[in-house]
Amino acid sequence: MSGEDKFDVIIIGAGPAGTACAYTLAKEGKNVLVIERGVTAGSKNVTGGRFYTYALDLVEPGLWKDATLERKVTHEQIMMMDGNQSITIDYSNPLFNKEGEMPQSFTILRAVFDEWFASKAEEQGAVIACGIKVDGLIEENGRITGVKAGGDEMFADLVIAADGVNSMIAREAGLVPELSDKTIGVGVKEIIELPAKTIEERFHLKPGEGASLLMLGCTEGIHGGGFLYTNNESISLGCVFTPSEAAAHGRQVHDIFQDLKMHPSIYPLIEGGKTVEYGAHLVREEGYRGIPKQLYRDGLMVIGEAAGFVLNIGYTIRGIDLAIVSGVAAARAVISGSNPGPAYLEELKNIKLLPSMKAVDGYFDLLEIHRLYETYPKVAGGVFNKMYSISGETPVSIKKGIWGVLKDNKVSLWQLVKDGIRGYRSI
Amino acid sequence: MSNVIVCFKWVKAEDDLRIDSSTLAVDLSKSKGKISDYDRNAIEAARIASEAAGSETVALTFGSADTKTALKDALSRGPKQAFWVNDVSAENADGFVTANMLAAAIRKIGSYSLIVCGEGAADTYAHQVGPRIGALLDIPVISFVKEMRIDGNRLYAVRKLEDSLEQVEADLPAVVTVLPEINPAPIPGLKAVLEGGKKPVTEFKIQDLDLEDGDTSRKTDVVSFKGCSMSRKKILINEGDAKERVTALVAALKKEGVL
Repeated sequence: MSGEDKFDVIIIGAGPAGTACAYTLAKEGKNVLVIERGVTAGSKNVTGGRFYTYALDLVEPGLWKDATLERKVTHEQIMMMDGNQSITIDYSNPLFNKEGEMPQSFTILRAVFDEWFASKAEEQGAVIACGIKVDGLIEENGRITGVKAGGDEMFADLVIAADGVNSMIAREAGLVPELSDKTIGVGVKEIIELPAKTIEERFHLKPGEGASLLMLGCTEGIHGGGFLYTNNESISLGCVFTPSEAAAHGRQVHDIFQDLKMHPSIYPLIEGGKTVEYGAHLVREEGYRGIPKQLYRDGLMVIGEAAGFVLNIGYTIRGIDLAIVSGVAAARAVISGSNPGPAYLEELKNIKLLPSMKAVDGYFDLLEIHRLYETYPKVAGGVFNKMYSISGETPVSIKKGIWGVLKDNKVSLWQLVKDGIRGYRSI
Repeated sequence: MSNVIVCFKWVKAEDDLRIDSSTLAVDLSKSKGKISDYDRNAIEAARIASEAAGSETVALTFGSADTKTALKDALSRGPKQAFWVNDVSAENADGFVTANMLAAAIRKIGSYSLIVCGEGAADTYAHQVGPRIGALLDIPVISFVKEMRIDGNRLYAVRKLEDSLEQVEADLPAVVTVLPEINPAPIPGLKAVLEGGKKPVTEFKIQDLDLEDGDTSRKTDVVSFKGCSMSRKKILINEGDAKERVTALVAALKKEGVL
């Protein structure tokens, strides 16, 4: 093999994980090639973007100031829905967004963000080849030595798979089994354009501020939920379902999503907007326990969502920051000069990625409680209904009202206690 | 045989055009650039022609600063080097100005046996540039070419006319404007893309070119630039039983003149 056909590292996929890794390696003078299937980085992405800023600071302090971000998240909201009724909790804390300091989190549009990030890695000297699909790995004596793409072969000391949730490369290498319909969600999302001023009025935001809203009870009892993020001049609205349950439910995912859009608490937020993009994608739902047992083998490492680094813990969904962090960890492992596989695992611990995911592992159990997706939003709605119904009649006591609602929804005291304990344990 | 020069244009990708349905104003700000679709076939035609003749393909474009990306893309498709007339005026140049620029650049490049252009640009499809280059350089022009072959110093081409095919011959050097069907435009492979990033690009500024007064002033004026929007009538037929609805639907379609 000639020098022309050999790199220090080949990274498959120019998403946040692959690009963060390429950036860090190229900055240290490594000869890096990133192969991206999309025509540009981000062009194949449909993530409804929210991003935690600390991750970009790990790549390069202050880099976030230059990034194409949408709005800093100042309002964290959770909405429970049942039929036409809804309960919303809105949490805001100026400490997350102190004047002159790095805001904690931003909404982003991935197509824009990824392209910007890739251009930054290119500035550091990484070679990014877009519009090319990697067909497979080259293996010699049990070691991965390169990739096949089109008719071409390209070699490297190390190949890094950053090819996302449905990683063909990690599967081919035998690191990740076929995805199971129990452990992944199907997400659908629309980007709905609205003037910045309208968004700010509807969500009570100042210019540059944004809201993140997660919804429960909007999936007709199917394991899943909805999300809404405010961008500068658009809203990302979507929902995620467990596909096998959705199929058994006999309703199209798209129809349930349409109902969500028409919900009396959601429609006024998007009214008059124009849908400019529709996408569907898979997302891992297992958190820590979804991480493959083996994240590397000789000549190959897996990073980002390909390695299961996604967290859906009900009140927040994280993936982009974890992807970036894992990319940095992989790069540091390579730079350290020691055996990259074990060094990568060590870095994942040092950089607090594995510990962070492990700490919230219990949420998976909480989110497994089926009553969370229909019964409890109904119960909550019923209780609020009792509290706020004033007709001049003598009201039943709240206590009685709660028991009535529980009975109506066939929730026994025993179930409630059991779910309560399970919920408490899991957090 | 000396070089085959292929001219290409960097245009806005139509997928991301936004049209305001009330004012019909076109928003180009979100549009990315791309090599004009037909020019991709032209680049491949030039590559095939020069390969057969044992010469080199050279790419040439007139574009503003953001055309830089285009050069890498064009070079990954086969040409050995590229020339770029870099000026912001390219963004609203017409065929007259563009042809002046390209012809002046071609004189600067010097030796050439064949100049290949796409039949028309993906954005304007005005058929101006190729024939004008031929006139400026005073060499034969063959347009609407669907097949071509070079034998020594002679070019044999088949032109696709409205209702017939025409076989023509010309001595080289000549200009051909080719139809997309002349050959497919393969997507470059990994190695080609990597090589494309390393090939040499020569940049010309307008002042580097021998132009005469008036060469840079457009001959046409754009009076307006508007999108085309189809508005829906939004007629909903949802009353009555199936039979009544079908009758109403048929009546409505007849009224619209579609049945």
